[in-house]
Amino acid sequence: MVFMIPVVLKNLFSRCATRPYPQSPRKLFAGSRGQLVNDAGKCILCGTCARTCPSQCLTVSRKEGLWQYEPFACVFCGVCVEACPTGSLSQLSQWRPAVRERESVVLKVEVKSGEEGKRHRA
Amino acid sequence: MMKTTALALAVLCAAVLLGGLLSGIDRRLTARLQSRQGPPLIQPFLDVIKLMAKERMVTNPWQAFSPVASLAAAAVALVLFALQGDLLVILFVHMVGGVFLVLGAMASPSPYSQTASQRELWQMLSCETLLFLIAGALYLTTGSFRLSELSALPEPLLYRLPLLFAAFFFALTVKMRKSPFDLAGCHHAHQELVRGVFTEYVGPYLGLLEIAHWLEVMLYLAICSLFWATDAKGMILLPLAVFFAVIVLDNVAARLTWRWMLGWGWGASFILSAFNLFWLKG
Amino acid sequence: MAGTVIPFGPQHPVLPEPLHLNLKIEDEIVISATPAFGYVHRGLEKLADIRDFRQMIQVVERVCGICSMIHALTYCQGLESLMGVEPPPRARFLRVIWSELHRLHSHLLWLGLFADAMGFESLFMQLWKVRERIMDMNEATAGNRVILSVNVIGGVRRDLDPGQTGWILSELAEVEKGIKAMGRTILHDYTVQKRTRGKGVLSREQALELGCVGPMLRSCGVAQDMRLLGYAAYGELDFAPVVERDGDCYARCRVRFAELGQSIDLIRQSIGKLPAGDISVPVKGRPEGEIVARAEQPRGECLYYIKANGGKFLDRLRIRTPTFANIPALTVMLPGIELADVPVVLLSIDPCVSCTER
Repeated sequence: MVFMIPVVLKNLFSRCATRPYPQSPRKLFAGSRGQLVNDAGKCILCGTCARTCPSQCLTVSRKEGLWQYEPFACVFCGVCVEACPTGSLSQLSQWRPAVRERESVVLKVEVKSGEEGKRHRA
Repeated sequence: MMKTTALALAVLCAAVLLGGLLSGIDRRLTARLQSRQGPPLIQPFLDVIKLMAKERMVTNPWQAFSPVASLAAAAVALVLFALQGDLLVILFVHMVGGVFLVLGAMASPSPYSQTASQRELWQMLSCETLLFLIAGALYLTTGSFRLSELSALPEPLLYRLPLLFAAFFFALTVKMRKSPFDLAGCHHAHQELVRGVFTEYVGPYLGLLEIAHWLEVMLYLAICSLFWATDAKGMILLPLAVFFAVIVLDNVAARLTWRWMLGWGWGASFILSAFNLFWLKG
Repeated sequence: MAGTVIPFGPQHPVLPEPLHLNLKIEDEIVISATPAFGYVHRGLEKLADIRDFRQMIQVVERVCGICSMIHALTYCQGLESLMGVEPPPRARFLRVIWSELHRLHSHLLWLGLFADAMGFESLFMQLWKVRERIMDMNEATAGNRVILSVNVIGGVRRDLDPGQTGWILSELAEVEKGIKAMGRTILHDYTVQKRTRGKGVLSREQALELGCVGPMLRSCGVAQDMRLLGYAAYGELDFAPVVERDGDCYARCRVRFAELGQSIDLIRQSIGKLPAGDISVPVKGRPEGEIVARAEQPRGECLYYIKANGGKFLDRLRIRTPTFANIPALTVMLPGIELADVPVVLLSIDPCVSCTER
């Protein structure tokens, strides 16, 4: 009992170890595995990402020119990013914010022209 | 008569507000001792308001009646105290409240609340005996059980009852349900009996019990102030210091078992008190 | 109160994990304890049928949150020896660093939960405050706080630059200070000793017979530690298993507390000896044959049985986690103790039920 008294009293008179989270978030680490983004300009719809994904959250359809991603099935392991042959996939250090509705990401990719994709709610 | 009723109401309102506020201070202080920020001071009130707005659910009528009886007993005891009544009567009324809490907990078949009610009975037994010894000491010093006699004393009671005061500290720790004696229901449910005697209470009934607990803590702190009844500053500072000490103790000790409480805790307190009483008499 | 049955779990506030025990008690004394399983079974072993052997790395990481790194490590080491791949030296040392960071955070988590089980909330908060630094180290070096996902067959996925290793060393010094400050309370506090000494005693013979592993076994005087096999870079590092003799909850607490210091020491040694070079070798082909891979998790020996047929999918994957081996000890330790001591004894095996039920 005695050994703990100085510890708790020191806590009382020093700053707390917790952060008021949503108001003041911590600085992000550079290497954090956060949101997955696909640069539609570089994507060649090869489907390597969909084949390597352990949680099978990616679907690539060459015929329709679509790259689909289910963020709620994703485990953010980053395997697809390492497997991508053109470097069009990347992971930001910022994680996905909490949302009220389930959403999936659908990118329209035109392999030749490299047009910007569109994002829908599904 | 009108004046007495008004005084009683005023005391009750003040006690509920102060009790809730103390509970808020407790949570905040505990958090700071643990290096956390803690909830806002009015959080206990928000909790109770939320509980009051919830659906009424009981397993049997006793569970509905017991919290009301428990709250009523705590309120009456506190009012009697404010009216400078007889300490023995106050303690008996207060005990009735405890009995109803146990009855309500025993009314449900849940093994958690059943086991906890037995522990609660042990706790009551150890707390109340010590409080009755304090009443005895009061009689020995002033020749009466009436509280009004106390302020006439030449020096604070604490000087003559230091060992009884230590015993009282033990009783307060048990009553406030703090480590090492949060045995029959602690503030959070990280305990083998979940929330002990409170496990089966929900909604408004739990809210009533929460208010009853505030009042009981206020009564104990009021009894604590008796130890320095000779001047107003001491009457406020002594209970606050003791309150702080209980919270620090809560944060520097693990929970012990009811056997330890009854053996070492109560045993030592009882011997100390008895020793003090003989000293007082002789 | 003759013969009350208390359902202890799977949903019980004192339990960090959905362990399910039916406790028969009489006058607050436990008469018998029957564990029940299956509450969080997810069928991860069966997933080997539809996920190829590389994707399974991410699946086995999710067998357990707290020792995910070592699950993946065991799996990868098993496949490496099946496929005849030798990971480069730098990768082996990096694996040790992350393994020991994992052990550190797991033991601190356990010490905190153990303190909470005996109602010592401020000690719990204090230990988790220290643990937060390790979680930060995990996130900064591997990308995630808990599921590090650094292992691949043939090496590791991330490298540490000199800035990071320096930062790890300076953070470790702070962690060590924090642990030392708590040591006196954990080991010498009266109330802690009152709650742990002589509780849930297991003799050396009983522990061996019941098949206990890890700190459970080491607290009974058996120096069993899978790290002595010398996997990853453990063969080149200097350490000896921590052993206690009493076999009670206090001894288990002492073992895990001493292992905190040991892990810090191992990380320092590995950073000191960290060789330059590649962090992984390219792996071609598919595994064939069967193998048993073992590694030391924070909770004890973890065992992987892998059977592959040269195809994309494994034939069979079987995981024996340390908690699975330690649960039988509960049925011996629990009868005869007080109900109030049940959480303490239960926590003393460091139960990880998601592990056990896979």
